[in-house]
Amino acid sequence: MARFASKKTSKFETEDVYEHGYSYPTSGYAHISRPGLSEAVVKEISHLKGEPEWMLKKRLEAFKIFTAKSMPTWGADLSEINFDKIHYYLRATNKQEKTWEEVPAEVKETFERLGIPEAEREMLAGVKAQYDSEVVYGSLKEVFAKQGVIFLSMDDGLREYPDLVKEYFSKIIPAGDNKFAALNTATWSGGSFVYVPKGVQVKLPLQTYFRINAENAGQFERTLIIVDEGASAHYVEACTAPTFSTGSLHSAVVEIYVKKGARCQYTTVQNWYKNVYNLVTKRALVEEEGEMIWVDFNMGSKVTMKYPSFVLAGRGARGETLSMALAGAGQHQDTGSKAIHLAPHTSSSIISKSISKGGGRTSYRGLINIGPNAKNSKNTVICDALLLDGNSRSDTYPVERIYNSEVAVQHEATVSKIGEDQLFYLMSRGITEEDASKMIVNGFIDELVRKLPLEYAVEMNRLIDHEMEGSIG
Amino acid sequence: MKRIEVFRDQLKSIAIKEPGEYLVILKEAGAEVDIRGAFKIDQKNKIEVSVVIHHQAPNTRANTTLRGVAGDSAHISLKGKIIIDHACGNSNSFLTERVLLLSNQAHAECVPDLEIHTDDVKCSHAASITRIPEAHLFYLMSRGLSRSEAEKLIVEGFLS
Repeated sequence: MARFASKKTSKFETEDVYEHGYSYPTSGYAHISRPGLSEAVVKEISHLKGEPEWMLKKRLEAFKIFTAKSMPTWGADLSEINFDKIHYYLRATNKQEKTWEEVPAEVKETFERLGIPEAEREMLAGVKAQYDSEVVYGSLKEVFAKQGVIFLSMDDGLREYPDLVKEYFSKIIPAGDNKFAALNTATWSGGSFVYVPKGVQVKLPLQTYFRINAENAGQFERTLIIVDEGASAHYVEACTAPTFSTGSLHSAVVEIYVKKGARCQYTTVQNWYKNVYNLVTKRALVEEEGEMIWVDFNMGSKVTMKYPSFVLAGRGARGETLSMALAGAGQHQDTGSKAIHLAPHTSSSIISKSISKGGGRTSYRGLINIGPNAKNSKNTVICDALLLDGNSRSDTYPVERIYNSEVAVQHEATVSKIGEDQLFYLMSRGITEEDASKMIVNGFIDELVRKLPLEYAVEMNRLIDHEMEGSIG
Repeated sequence: MKRIEVFRDQLKSIAIKEPGEYLVILKEAGAEVDIRGAFKIDQKNKIEVSVVIHHQAPNTRANTTLRGVAGDSAHISLKGKIIIDHACGNSNSFLTERVLLLSNQAHAECVPDLEIHTDDVKCSHAASITRIPEAHLFYLMSRGLSRSEAEKLIVEGFLS
C-alpha cells in the first residue's frame, strides 16, 4: 500500500520525554526498609504500622509460603526479578493528609502534574493517592460519607474497622494462592478499603492513584472492596512510575465481595514505566444476582501477568471482563480472565483485545470452569489480536472445562493485521496511511473504550495515537 | 506423538481416527492441509486428542476441525494449537473445536491455543461446548421420532 501513496509519518516532538518520567530523590523519606526480604523486614513493617497480632501472624505465615513456593514458569519470563535488591517498604511521609494543601510539596507536585486534584474536583466521589508504600492523601465526598460509605486506605481500614477486615481479609485470595499473593500478604502496605452499605448507589467513581517514585521499589498494595446487598460502586485505579534503569516490582492483591443483587465495576488504567514487573492477583466473589465487571487496560510495564477473575457463587450471578493490552518493544502483556461458575443460571462474558507492535508480545490466558451445579450457565469469550509488524507476537491460551451439559460455552479468537483493503478504502478517500491506521486501531478497541469514564476514554484514544505515531514504515 | 509433514505445494487431507497426540508440520511454501477428527464416546471412557499445527513456511494454509460427542459419564478433551513461525507471511490457519454433551455427568475440556510470531496472517479459532438444543429435538419429535431416535440423528449429523 505504502508504495503508491505519499508517505507522511508524523513524530511526537516530545518523543523521548516520558510524560510521567520525573522523580524526586528519596532522601527526605520518613522510612526506607533495607533491600531484600526476611522475617525481620516483615516484622518491621508490621511494627511500624502498629498492627494487631493476628495480622502479623498472617504476614509471617505468608512469608513462609512465599519462600517455599517456586517461581511460576508457565507464563512470562520472570527470571530477571531480583528479590534481594527490592526495597519492600518505603514511606515518604508520616501521615495521610485530609486536605491537599498539607501534602508534602514534592509529592503534591508529582500528583499535580498527573492532573489529580483537578480530576477530583470535577468528577469523582472520592480519591486516594498512594506514593510508594503509603497512601498520602485521601478524601471522600460528604454525601457518600453520610450514607455510610467507607473509603479508606487499607491501613486505616484495619485500624478503624478491625472486625470487618478480619472477616474478609485474605478469604478469596489466601496467601497460598500463588507466590505473589503470598509476597503481597507478607509485605502489603497501602491500597484501598471500600465498604458500600446495603442499597447505597455510589454514582461517581471512587479513585486511587498509584505511583512508584523510588528506584528498586516494591509496591504491594492490598485492596478489599465489599459491596453490600443491592448496592453499587465503581472503583478506578490508575498507575504510573518514573524512568529508572533498574526495574521495580508491583504486586497487588485485590479482593472484591459482591453481595446479593449488588454491582461492582473495577476499572484499571495501568501505565507503569516499561521496566516495572506488574504481577497482580484479582478476584471477586459474586453472590445471587450480583454483577461484577472488570475493565482492564494494560499499556505500560515490562511484564504484566494479570488475570482478573470472578467466582459466580450465587444463582443468576453475572461476570464480565473487558481487557485491552498494548505491547511495544521489550514488553510482554500476559493478561486474561478467569470465570468460575458454581451456581445455576450464571452468565459471563470475556472480551479481550490486544495490540502488539515493535517486537512486543501479548498473550491471552484464560480459564472457564463450569461446575456440575451450574446448570443453564452461559459463557462467551472473544479474543481479538492485532499485529502491527512482523516481529511482534500474539498468543491465545484459553482453557474451557465443563462439568455439566446444560450450558452454552463459546470461544472465538482471531489474529490479524491491519487489512490492506481496509487501508485502501480509507486512503482512497484522501486519508493518509498513518491516520487511517490510527482510525482502524481506535476502531478495534472502541467497544472497550466506551466502557471507560469519559475523561479516560479521551485520554485512552490520545495514548493510543501517541503509541502509534511513526510506527508506519 | 504422531508426526506428519507436508511439503512444497502439497495438499493433504488428514483424518484423525484415534485419540492421541499429533504434530502436523507445514514444512515448505504452498503446503496446505485439511485436518478432521470426530469422536463419540460414552460410558466411563476418557479420551484426549491433541493436535499441533506448526506453520514453518510462508504461504501455508491449514483448516482443522475437531468434533466430539460425550455421553454418560465420559470425559472428552480436545486440545489444538496453531503455531506460526516468524517470517511465515501470507499464511492462513483456522481451528474449530465443537463438543456436544449428552448427559449431565459428561465432562468436556477444550483448549484452542494460538502462538503467532508474524503479522501477515489470518488466524482464528473457535470452540463451543453445548448440549443438543431442546428446539432441535422438539422439531424431530413433532414429526414422529422418539426422543432417542432424534438424538441419534442429530449426533450423526453433527459428526459427519
